[in-house]
Amino acid sequence: MPSAAMITTPKKSNKILMAGNKAIAEGAILAGCRYYFGYPITPQNEIPAHMAKRMPQVGGCFVQAESELAAINMVFGAAAVGVRCMTSSSSPGISLMQEGISYLAGAELPAVIVNICRGGPGLGNISGSQGDYFQATRGGGHGDYRTIVLGPASVQEMYDLTFAAFDLADYYRIPVMILADGVLGQMMEPVVLDPDRRSRSDLPEKNWALTGAKNRPPRVIKSLYMGEGELEEHNLRLDKKYRKIQSQEVRYEEYWVDDANLLLVAYGSSARISKAAVNMARKRGIALGLFRPISLYPFPSAALAARAVKIGRVLTVEMNTGQMIEDVRLAVNGSCQTFFYGRPGGGVFDHEEIFQYCLRLMGQA
Amino acid sequence: MATLKELSKREELLAGGHRLCAGCGASIVVRQILLAAGRNVVVSCATGCLEVSTSIYPYTSWRVPFIHSAFENSAATVCGVEAMYQSLKRRGKLPVDEEIKFIAFGGDGGTYDIGLQSLSGGLERGHDFLYVCYDNGAYMNTGIQRSSSTPLGADTTTSPVGKVIPGKQQYRKDLTDIVEAHHIPYLAQASPHNWKDLTHKVEKALSIKGPKFLNVIAPCHRGWRAGVNQTIELARLAVETCFWPLYEVEDGKLTINYKPREKKPIIEWIKLQGRFSHLLKPENEHILRRLQEGIDAKWESLLRREGEK
Repeated sequence: MPSAAMITTPKKSNKILMAGNKAIAEGAILAGCRYYFGYPITPQNEIPAHMAKRMPQVGGCFVQAESELAAINMVFGAAAVGVRCMTSSSSPGISLMQEGISYLAGAELPAVIVNICRGGPGLGNISGSQGDYFQATRGGGHGDYRTIVLGPASVQEMYDLTFAAFDLADYYRIPVMILADGVLGQMMEPVVLDPDRRSRSDLPEKNWALTGAKNRPPRVIKSLYMGEGELEEHNLRLDKKYRKIQSQEVRYEEYWVDDANLLLVAYGSSARISKAAVNMARKRGIALGLFRPISLYPFPSAALAARAVKIGRVLTVEMNTGQMIEDVRLAVNGSCQTFFYGRPGGGVFDHEEIFQYCLRLMGQA
Repeated sequence: MATLKELSKREELLAGGHRLCAGCGASIVVRQILLAAGRNVVVSCATGCLEVSTSIYPYTSWRVPFIHSAFENSAATVCGVEAMYQSLKRRGKLPVDEEIKFIAFGGDGGTYDIGLQSLSGGLERGHDFLYVCYDNGAYMNTGIQRSSSTPLGADTTTSPVGKVIPGKQQYRKDLTDIVEAHHIPYLAQASPHNWKDLTHKVEKALSIKGPKFLNVIAPCHRGWRAGVNQTIELARLAVETCFWPLYEVEDGKLTINYKPREKKPIIEWIKLQGRFSHLLKPENEHILRRLQEGIDAKWESLLRREGEK
């Protein structure tokens, strides 16, 4: 019998084919998430199903709650004791979670919330949609708060950004949302897994977590501030944190922008399609470029404005009737022309459609 | 009480052409209930297979007024509708003798889990409505996730059978008991294989004022992993094994409507379903035993309660 050293196994490639929803789950597990709470809703069911299998394997805990309200408050409970935890849902379920998200933000608890967005309003449909941009980036729930919102555009990014989301959540003590949609959640793409990835080294110690008060004074986690001026002070402190996030956590990608004379702005699924439209245009010698916000909050306003002012014309492309365009307009602040192309309610455009619209805008159709 | 002949002459109020699976238990349940209820009903429906498959705009299978709002509030929605009708009557805008019935449908996910709060609220406030839970024992519409109605040991996508954990770890919630604790005038369990029992229960329930509740087993061959043609057989076996006893509680008095001459062991029901196939392995015999014990205890308690003075 050969010794173990003699057996040479070919080095296994870390590149595997994976669906977006599964990549999110694996990214979370890699980040040390061991507590998952969820509730069934299409098109994200692969996340809880995968977590139901994987959590026991990694010594974690999977709980299917009796509702989204329960799931988000389980997240609140787990986050309060200082562990990495997450939930996932889709639009109607995320609406039900808003109260809990507001409480997480108020109590400054780190957690990751995944929204695999579907068409709305109401029951809507289960197609890919970007109708939840306002809800995600404006806070969604009640009160003067923000959550970090990341918008992946590929299965690889779903894996990478989910990992990053846990670090951001812990660093800033803030709920972080991954905003994708059914198209990305269900699609299969090659993903390079990175089992050796480590969290950033400057994460603060969780000296606020409720870990048992033996030999130390008790700690309090709360979002209730009744004393004179206390709540204002709390809100101002949150605001200071949000400003720090705005200055330090902006993420975006630029594609063919240097010589572009029309700049497309799109995130997530619509950015993929816009990218194909840019490729199509470039093959024909037409100078389209793409600016892709990856962090939707904080929105990459300064970078976009700097680029847009040079190009002079910006076309925002969204799978809704115009939500991110408001951030684009605020960013460019009248310094260039802004246009919009969108399809709402689960309607998905193709690159040809966007290309043709660009030609019309450029007076070339 | 309507005879089979009479029922067969009535108009079907859930039209064919809906998108529910061939052999779906829920549609059989709903058709029987509407045949017994007649045209003068308003239906509210929770999100679920029944709702998404019968109301794909611009089509509808419902030949009666139908309202859906969200997943967790079929009961709340029907309570609002019922309150509005009562108010119209009080204000003389509807004839006082106009007999309108209100029926809320929900699956087990929309009733046992997320909809329990709104059901409980409606029962306690005493609205005049019949709530029907079509219980197929999991979230079938979203792809077979466990619910609190899923039986012990069942394999679902969120209670997967693996090397260590052999399916769902918990007993199912006894919703009928929970409803009974609201002291409503009428509640019952029924099954589509016994159309006579089911339709009679609907007629009786709708003749009573106040909140009523029916828990109806609705086999789902996709989730249970059985044959498309086994729906009625599975419903019958659920009753013959006493997994799903047919009983009713009227003004607090419990009556068992059907007592199997010979109570079959639960394995007779289990062995037809792929979701339980792992329970046939010798190493999982203890789960089967626990399942049988739970069923026996419930059946014994029903027999005892029926005998009480």
